[in-house]
Amino acid sequence: MAAGDTLPVASGCMKAPDMDDQPPAWQRVEQLVAQLRDRVEQRREEGAYPPGLEDDLDEHFQRIAAHRVLPELEELNKRLGALDSHMGFHPSRIPSGSRVVGGTAVHRAVSKAVARQTQGVLEQVMEFADAVRAVLQSTVAALEDPFGHVHADLVGQVDHVLERMSHFERGQIDATVAHGTLRELRGRVEELESAELQRQVDGLGVRLEELETAERRRRFQPWFSNERFEEEFRGSHDELLERYRDLAAHLEGQAPVLEIGSGRGEFLELLSDAGVAASGVELDPDLAKLAGDQGLDVVAGNGLTALADRDDASLGGIVLIQVVEHLTAQEVVELVSMAAAKLRPGGKMVIETVNPQSLYVFARAFYLDPTHAQPVHPGYLSFLFREAGFDGVFIEWRSPPPDDERLLELSPRSAETMRENVRRLNQLLFAPQDYALIAIR
Amino acid sequence: MEIHQILVSASQGDAITASAFELQRLLRRVGPSDIYARYFDPSLIGEVLPLAAFARRRRSRRPTADLLIFHASIGEPDVSSFIRERPERIVLVYHNISPARNFLTYDPAFAGLLEGGRRELELLRGRVTMAIAVSDYNAAELREIGYPDVRVAPLILDVRAMLNEVPDADTANHLATQIPGPVFLFVGQLLPHKRPDLLLKAFHLLVTYARPDAQLVLVGAGRLPRYRQALQSFAQELNLRAWIAGSVTAQQLVAFYRRADVFVTASEHEGFCVPLVEAMAFGVPAIARGHAAIPETMGGAGLLLPEDDDPALMAEAMSAVADDRSLRDELVTAGHRRLSAFEPDNARATFLSHLADIA
Repeated sequence: MAAGDTLPVASGCMKAPDMDDQPPAWQRVEQLVAQLRDRVEQRREEGAYPPGLEDDLDEHFQRIAAHRVLPELEELNKRLGALDSHMGFHPSRIPSGSRVVGGTAVHRAVSKAVARQTQGVLEQVMEFADAVRAVLQSTVAALEDPFGHVHADLVGQVDHVLERMSHFERGQIDATVAHGTLRELRGRVEELESAELQRQVDGLGVRLEELETAERRRRFQPWFSNERFEEEFRGSHDELLERYRDLAAHLEGQAPVLEIGSGRGEFLELLSDAGVAASGVELDPDLAKLAGDQGLDVVAGNGLTALADRDDASLGGIVLIQVVEHLTAQEVVELVSMAAAKLRPGGKMVIETVNPQSLYVFARAFYLDPTHAQPVHPGYLSFLFREAGFDGVFIEWRSPPPDDERLLELSPRSAETMRENVRRLNQLLFAPQDYALIAIR
Repeated sequence: MEIHQILVSASQGDAITASAFELQRLLRRVGPSDIYARYFDPSLIGEVLPLAAFARRRRSRRPTADLLIFHASIGEPDVSSFIRERPERIVLVYHNISPARNFLTYDPAFAGLLEGGRRELELLRGRVTMAIAVSDYNAAELREIGYPDVRVAPLILDVRAMLNEVPDADTANHLATQIPGPVFLFVGQLLPHKRPDLLLKAFHLLVTYARPDAQLVLVGAGRLPRYRQALQSFAQELNLRAWIAGSVTAQQLVAFYRRADVFVTASEHEGFCVPLVEAMAFGVPAIARGHAAIPETMGGAGLLLPEDDDPALMAEAMSAVADDRSLRDELVTAGHRRLSAFEPDNARATFLSHLADIA
């Protein structure tokens, strides 16, 4: 709660203690508690408290408290061992010595006389002691069992899953890893045939699903239309056609071409004008429909999945205009290896994205789009394509910042060094805002 | 009139021992009055006498004192057989007995003593002339097990003396210079029924989602090493800014109260919650859960949460009381007003008037 965010119930009441018309104390407290509960709910809805967090904390503390049992069990086992060494009752172990003269003889005589009775009593005691020992041993075994190495191993794995989940709660990670560990855990638990563990592991599965749902809910879902956003920040339809005409030229004769993230469809339009058969995939269904309405071949969906569905070596070109900066690092590497598989020899990959070597771009374009994940460095991207087996990999620098925003260079007659400095500064601050990478399979 | 007090154990910083000393000052106005205990801190030698000395000094089977006041808080066979065999009339002061179930996992022997304490209460019933409970909650428990004459007298607490205490300079300096954020203070023994674990959980949520700069301070003896260790590891593993201070001196305690922004306890068993009253005296707004005698001690002068184990709700309450100026003011004002209910002179008068009925 932010400071100054006052509770309406509390403020104003009880300021004047002798006022009679204020609600009784218990009622105010009830209202206050109801408000606090609402706030907790609000936090939950905002995704603050991941599902199962409280249970996690409880289990965490229980585990810490339970771990301390082990040393005591060891002690118990030691004592049980010591007990065993004392077992073995026999009349001969009863001392018969005496310091009184003739005492030893008397003792012997007495013990001989009652030997039968002594033996009888000892046998009963032995029987009893054996039974007690058996009970103690099975008790220790039962206590020990849950802490045996199999269980400890499983607890370790459960911890592992919980840890992954807590990472998951804090940020975006790949839930498939948690799923994998959980699957493995299920297998092991089934072997053990323990209903309790089974129940716990099932519970973990449910939790994981809840977390994924919560994660999906946390995803960015703006109320504004992406079409309006594109118009506002990407440029008008005609401007875009003009801007990408040269890039589209790279794909002439490369049909069929697949564009991932085709947006309003300008690039597809350019390809179509050039007589290149091309289709697009667009995540935003509204934009996909808009492009479809203009007669372009666009489906709504995830571009990477669509690419994966294509046959190997079936494409002549793949285009991603201002898309890779929306992908996670993992998605980028997957994209490149998939492109290598889906493009036929001689096929072309055309990617345009923001240039992280330009400081200017971070002040202007990059953070304008809230869905940008991370910019991809041209050096890294080229490396990926070369590693994936592409023959020619070229970079084209695009969208230099307007000249009137660059620092003024001094005339040649002024100090030459000053001129060079300004040039370098311009290079650093005003490097081209975009680059295009063209890779030939 | 000669009235002596019998305790199972006496130690520094223990609320029951403190109340016995308060009573002693009062009882010495009317005659000789000593405190005997079965176990006690060596630092109390001279102020507290060993129980065995009572038997030695008073070999006679005839009554040698007018009354014996027995403070019941835990089972102890020696003490209870002593009480049963003495011919003097017995007044039982009931401080309540912690529920054994909380201790089973950590210290089964201790749990056994607690369980025994409840059984001994029943055995003593016939020998007790009058029972005085420190809260209505405790009185109800005694009536339940058949005590016929049960009175209520609040603990004699001299919080004003505490207010006059000079805070420990080192502690105060550390709190003032090293801890910038709001301080949440818990005072009480670190035992399972006080639920410091729940407090740590709530604090974890508080710092994760609302107040990353908050500091938690837990003051009080941790007599179950395993439990205390578990709390420490838990706080460490969650990377909490939690200072588990353990037992502290009266001066250190005052330094903590003076710096605290919020007093908070998750306890689910109290026969009477002394730290709540202390917090009120120091103008620290208090948060507690509505268990046992807590609602009674709080008397509406604090934020009373429902009984459920909800760390999120507790964290929200902590955040609200720390940040909401008007709520804080309201609770502090209510706390100050509530103090009049614990006016030590009134408590003394109530206690004496109960004794006068049978004297």
